[in-house]
Amino acid sequence: MDSATPKYEYGLLKFGTLLTIIVFIAGTTIGTYAASELAWPFLNFDIPELTFGRLRVVHTNTIVIAFGGLALFVTSLYSVQRTNSNRLWCVPCAWASALLLVGSIVGGIIGIAFGLSQAREYHEMEWIFDVGIAVGWLLWTMVFVMTIATRDKEKVPHVYVSNWFYLALLIAVTYLFLVNGLALPVTWYKSYSLYSGVQDAMIQWWWGHNAVGFFLTAGFLGMMYYFVPKQAQRPVYSYRLSVIHFWALIFGYVWLGAHHLQYTAVPDWTGSLGAVISLAMIIPSWGGALNGMLTLSGAWDRLRTDYILRFLIMALAFYAMSTFEGPVMSSKTVNALSHYTDWTIGHVHSGALGWVAMVAIGSLYHMVMKMWNTEMYSMKLINWHFWLHTLGTVLYIVAMWVSGIMQGLMWRAYDEYGVLAYTFAESVAAMHPYYVMRAMGGVLVVLGGLVMLYNVVMTLATIKSRQPAAAAA
Amino acid sequence: MSKLTDYFHTDWAAMTAQDWAGVIITVGAFIGIVVTFAWALSPGRRKRLEQQKYNVLDDDD
Repeated sequence: MDSATPKYEYGLLKFGTLLTIIVFIAGTTIGTYAASELAWPFLNFDIPELTFGRLRVVHTNTIVIAFGGLALFVTSLYSVQRTNSNRLWCVPCAWASALLLVGSIVGGIIGIAFGLSQAREYHEMEWIFDVGIAVGWLLWTMVFVMTIATRDKEKVPHVYVSNWFYLALLIAVTYLFLVNGLALPVTWYKSYSLYSGVQDAMIQWWWGHNAVGFFLTAGFLGMMYYFVPKQAQRPVYSYRLSVIHFWALIFGYVWLGAHHLQYTAVPDWTGSLGAVISLAMIIPSWGGALNGMLTLSGAWDRLRTDYILRFLIMALAFYAMSTFEGPVMSSKTVNALSHYTDWTIGHVHSGALGWVAMVAIGSLYHMVMKMWNTEMYSMKLINWHFWLHTLGTVLYIVAMWVSGIMQGLMWRAYDEYGVLAYTFAESVAAMHPYYVMRAMGGVLVVLGGLVMLYNVVMTLATIKSRQPAAAAA
Repeated sequence: MSKLTDYFHTDWAAMTAQDWAGVIITVGAFIGIVVTFAWALSPGRRKRLEQQKYNVLDDDD
């Protein structure tokens, strides 16, 4: 390498990091507004684009695909360079990938707001945007794989485990996305799925749960296995446990999808199989969570002063909690109560706000300091962000637990004549206080995101006043 | 079904191609997970694997 060339490529990643924070604020704001519409329905003002049915899907796509995807993109391309001691392979390809992904996702989300949808959960964007995402995704995969393949193998003979998880994300989502998205286009913005009936349901949830498994779990575990040791400045507790965690996830996760289809037209045994494997997955999931947490063994005092580490460790606590809650909810007995209720929404958000967002936020703070070679403008503001986000998340999921279990119990209650005790409208009215509470939780999370953006912007605006000190340190 | 053996009875003649594909994938995944667990947990491999966890701490610019 030319001595004038920096060891690592950060230009694209700096841009991507700032965009990730902005998209997080946008996605949570849209989600909070949609949640407020359930508490105060007049907020849709009878405008089709603002109705809950569209706004909810715009929110899920903005958070899962846009925020989650961007966070994975920047952290994967940051850590793959550093763990392989190799500059990013083909920087123009990485830029092309980013532009294709961002352009297609933004286009797809705007399309959803205006009613262009495949109506396939977590795969709503129309086929034309799918094609852009697929090409951008393949470019990202190529850049990632080639950065590993072109490393100096004598200097770095072993590929660090975080890269295995990112690779699992890139490979699995490629085939999941393509198979689930098979459709017959009839116009530029309209297509019909190749699947129908029971097969359609099975394929949708094979994609749906593996999007959780490989996009929101494997990818973010890659993030965890790199950023927790780096921020803690200690090696991961057990490397062997990380290897077992990885292979258990790879072999086990693909079986879980059918647990979303309990008590439906799919064969009964498929739901049972999904539930059994889901319960079995508690063991590797908890092993992985403990592996991350025990990295702090002997240095727990760091949590008092290192607010970034707090985000990362709290994320692992939520990971452990939601990977226990999910399998319990997949069992037929609990599912009979929980399915179709707000409990599911609470579960999803303990994973999304607690695990995915927190591990990403911690990693992004770490990256900002490393890439710009500076301390943060205010560590106190990171602490404020931590508490706003944590309290908002807890408020949200507690509201949904209570309302969900109440919904389930109200729907199944009947009197001595076997007549349902409550009408559906009565159960909706009973939810009002919890929907208000959920919206308040969302407001706290959005406020936390704004605090982060302000802190990062001020860090960059005042960077010259701190850099000499940081360099001297 | 009162006899335990009835629970494990399989009508092999009635197995479809999809059934066989499912059996092969399931058994293959089971064998795969046993092999990888044995590989990772082998005492002889402990030192070599655990050494890898230190490399990540040494990647600064």
